[in-house]
Amino acid sequence: KLLARLEGRSSLKDLEPYLFAEEGSPVHGHVIEFHGPEGTGKTEMLYHLVARCILPKSGGGLETEVMFIDTDYHFDMLRLVTILESRLVQRTEEMIKQCLGRLFLVNCNSSTQLLLTLYSLENMFCTHPSLCLLILDSISSFYWIDRSNGGESLNLQEMNLKKCANFLEKLVREHHLTLFATTQTLMQRSTNSAENPFPLKPQHETDIDYRPYLCKSWQQMVTHRIFFSKQCNSGSSTAFTVVSCYLKRNHVVKLSFSVAECGVQF
Amino acid sequence: MVVLRAGLCPGLTEEMLQLLRASGIRTVVDFVSSDLEDVAQKCSLSYKALVAVRRVLLAQFSAFPVNGADLYEELKSSTAILPTGSSSLDKLLDSGLYTGEVTELMGAPGSGKTQVCLGIAASVSLSLKQHVLFLDSTGGFTASRLCQMLRAWTEDEEEQAALQRIQVVRVFDIYEMLSALQELRDRLSQQVVCSMGPLKIVVIDSVSAVVSPLLGGKQSEGLAIMMQLARELKTLAREYSLAVVVTNQVTRDSSTAPLRPALGRSWSFVPSTRVLVESKEATWDKATTKRVASLAKSPRQPTGIQVELDIG
Repeated sequence: KLLARLEGRSSLKDLEPYLFAEEGSPVHGHVIEFHGPEGTGKTEMLYHLVARCILPKSGGGLETEVMFIDTDYHFDMLRLVTILESRLVQRTEEMIKQCLGRLFLVNCNSSTQLLLTLYSLENMFCTHPSLCLLILDSISSFYWIDRSNGGESLNLQEMNLKKCANFLEKLVREHHLTLFATTQTLMQRSTNSAENPFPLKPQHETDIDYRPYLCKSWQQMVTHRIFFSKQCNSGSSTAFTVVSCYLKRNHVVKLSFSVAECGVQF
Repeated sequence: MVVLRAGLCPGLTEEMLQLLRASGIRTVVDFVSSDLEDVAQKCSLSYKALVAVRRVLLAQFSAFPVNGADLYEELKSSTAILPTGSSSLDKLLDSGLYTGEVTELMGAPGSGKTQVCLGIAASVSLSLKQHVLFLDSTGGFTASRLCQMLRAWTEDEEEQAALQRIQVVRVFDIYEMLSALQELRDRLSQQVVCSMGPLKIVVIDSVSAVVSPLLGGKQSEGLAIMMQLARELKTLAREYSLAVVVTNQVTRDSSTAPLRPALGRSWSFVPSTRVLVESKEATWDKATTKRVASLAKSPRQPTGIQVELDIG
């Protein structure tokens, strides 16, 4: 049974070769962070990945299960169905339902509920061996509320998120999952180092508007950080850019994509 | 942070609580995250009993995963698309306002946002015979203008009935707004059938009027309350299948930069659809100005589409 679990889990290899800076990614155990301001395509990219996972092999998918944790009621089922319909050859209700049967959705209302939900989901990962993708959209939704609830102490403010990050790491490690999480660009990168409590990132990321604000436990467990941005052309199309960084080896890849009715297109 | 107390769940007795408190376990999170074997040894409690309590606590306080297929079935039957009263705006929004989402109308003062809101209220009340909750924080709601709109579309008796279905609540600060929303939530969850019939839409004009005073001072407090309001709106929209329409001001970074919605970055993630309403000077001999709406953000349509609005 353990063997079956491991085998089921390693089939995420060809998830999206464009997004990752090296061969054979993402493998289990990786934690990928999508970061960017609003409207830059992070959620669209997640739908793209979800579709790729839940579609049957005959439709170009991996036929694996996905757990989607939605913290700000952002998930648009109708949009996902439109994407699935445009990728399936047989657009029947049966097929759509079959695909959707591989997707599990949870809504969380606070960082405490997120933590408790992660604990109760642990059981689910044990009983569903083909559940190898965990998506968290987004992990930064409770930032301001937590900060205000924690009062003056940075420790108290970050405590819930730190516990979530630690438990997520445990889940990813023990059940061989891959975790995708989105974080929102809530703050502008401060150019004045005196007022910026967080250290600025190294040289090659200076063209990216990234200011780390989540707790250290989260920042340290991220293996890939992907930055999203948007350029509005004078024409009618909007180009989205992705900069994908593999943090361990300092590998950076830059790509652009566009969003059509059928989803993300590179 | 929920504190453990006796009777919170079956099996959690007072004496168990005393022992747990003695080893530093006070809240639900403490209990769930601790190693139960350790706790069983330290407090000399039964491991089985602890596991049972843990299971019940998790079932009570965590969220349940829903299967995608079931959710899709539910959405197909509960999602509705509401007409805005302006056919060009409907086209812009991909046939109208979707329930379960927050739609934002942004524009400079005088660009016509309140007019559009009145039009939406009138249209939903008249054509769908659904109730409308209108939260007015600017004092811009005029019943006479609403009457005028309704009269242009229909005759007397229907107009009276339509007016009765629109409930206006005047709120002047964030706390009044939050309590009005809480009252709505209580009514909806108890399904009280009083003067309030089936409600499908909440219009808030405007959200920037109550939130702007909170921002820019002691930063994180104001932002936390704003995010609480955002969460409340989204939860109402999703759980009760309502369409929530909010209006917002615009700002720009410099005189040449494009317009962007006010209330900052954190708020910008909240609405799923955003429409910019502008009034432009007409270039032909008519002295009237025309109103233009452009789509700034949408989960379904490409952005940048512009239409002309046909409301006064």
